[in-house]
Amino acid sequence: MALGKNKWHDRYPELGTGPIPVEPYVSPEYFEQERARVFRKTWLNIGRVEQIPQPGDYFVKDLTICNTSILVVRGKDGEVHAFHNMCSHRGNQLVWDTKGRCQTFSCKFHGWTYALDGSLRYITDEHNFFGLKKETLGMTPVAVGTWEGFIFINVDPDPQQTLPEYLGEGLRTSIKGYPFEDLSTNCFSWHTDVQANWKVAKDAFQEVYHISTLHRRIIGDVYASKANPYANALNFTLYPPHGRVSLSANPDRKLTGVESIVQGFGSTVLQQNNSASEKLPAGVNPTGYPHWSFDGLALFPNCLIYVSKGTYLTHIFWPITENLTRWEIRTYSPQAETLSGRFSQEYGKVSFRDTLLEDASTLERTQTMLRSGAKKEIVLQDEELLIRQHHKVTESFLNASKGSQPNV
Amino acid sequence: MSERQLPEGFQDLEPYLEWSLATDRERSIKRQTSPMTKITAFYHAIVPRMDEILAHLEQYPLEQVPADAQSLFYLTLSLAKIAPAVEMYGEPVPEGLDALRLENIDIYPTRG
Ligand code: FES
Ligand SMILES: [Fe+2]
Repeated sequence: MALGKNKWHDRYPELGTGPIPVEPYVSPEYFEQERARVFRKTWLNIGRVEQIPQPGDYFVKDLTICNTSILVVRGKDGEVHAFHNMCSHRGNQLVWDTKGRCQTFSCKFHGWTYALDGSLRYITDEHNFFGLKKETLGMTPVAVGTWEGFIFINVDPDPQQTLPEYLGEGLRTSIKGYPFEDLSTNCFSWHTDVQANWKVAKDAFQEVYHISTLHRRIIGDVYASKANPYANALNFTLYPPHGRVSLSANPDRKLTGVESIVQGFGSTVLQQNNSASEKLPAGVNPTGYPHWSFDGLALFPNCLIYVSKGTYLTHIFWPITENLTRWEIRTYSPQAETLSGRFSQEYGKVSFRDTLLEDASTLERTQTMLRSGAKKEIVLQDEELLIRQHHKVTESFLNASKGSQPNV
Repeated sequence: MSERQLPEGFQDLEPYLEWSLATDRERSIKRQTSPMTKITAFYHAIVPRMDEILAHLEQYPLEQVPADAQSLFYLTLSLAKIAPAVEMYGEPVPEGLDALRLENIDIYPTRG
């Protein structure tokens, strides 16, 4: 297969090739539609099972975009449960910290107490109420499911699809065998609020067209090579509403000084030339390319998962307003067993984080100019397929009449 | 300047103890507030010693690292922080978002 000769858009002609309107990036009305018809209707990745290993472990996720806060807890039954983080008395937020472990949840306002399964167990001064039925006053559950250790919730009280249906068999099968669980023992994560639409942020991480320009100093030569100067993808496969991309590495890249020191102590983000002779997990490198670097899963609407050898990472983009996004980055890898291993991981972490700073340099600037109204449209090239798919899928969600399935 | 000393045999690195910083945030601040001359001097002092340093650090189980080795380890973390500056950017930080805006968050439960 000759690199750079594939016309991905030919493979997916339903996406078209025309310009993309700017309105979805700047319009408050559009944003409200996304809130109602996308974020309140789809399965959203809000964490990992490793965050709550024991019964009673919980974390809280503020979901501004769904106008709620979600309490995720591992119950006595060992299962993951999710609730709106709200007291049934007068509505106070039940849990105020971001994570912890407990036996019961007690409201700080008047002391109502709930069990891990969400049921109401105790009402302070109960006999002064008027015939309350405790069993009807538990926390309000939220649909929750897990896939490969990722926890998803859906705030729709009656989700139109189950989580497995939503992810789709094709996508789930395509990544089967990747050792998410083994690689999830160690997590470095960051977040920041950027003054940009959430799609401006997401777009910047679902194309590699920018690598040879924006990242030329850090990772310009990690992916781009003589044979493939613009780091064109090995493969795009769409599993609507989701998509998948596979990237090659530059086989001729020379290690920098400190990289050659860290080499051998563990995987770093820059060591991307995973030769096919090494044993790769099933479910990666779908084209079997000899110099594979990583595969990316774009989970609609707001989650990207990048898997590589020995490490994987996620980006999640949480819309706050049409001009403000909370961007969460997590990298996962096994625990380092020695201080040398930790040094190596630190090197990988720093160089990855520095590329994020470069990425982020464009986000607020792009948003500023999209808001100027100077242009009504932007244009995309063949390798920006996943951005185009996102717009197409969103359109179908916004157009889906209430109660019917979006046609994606 | 830190009061802590380095293990026997690494005294030549003591002038660089200001780089022995425990947290990522401190190391980020140190990198972005240091001139390239200082960053480069630290880089050239520590890189030739890295084989010996890592060999020294390898002998300790993670839970039993003596204070002097811990200081030495923090120096290596600062090296990780500044190596791209010297080898790739030629300036302390890449042009981009202020590193301090990218906040570390602790997702997993506290161990132990
Ligand atoms: S609001 Fe929770 S006990 Fe009153
Ligand atoms: Fe990038």
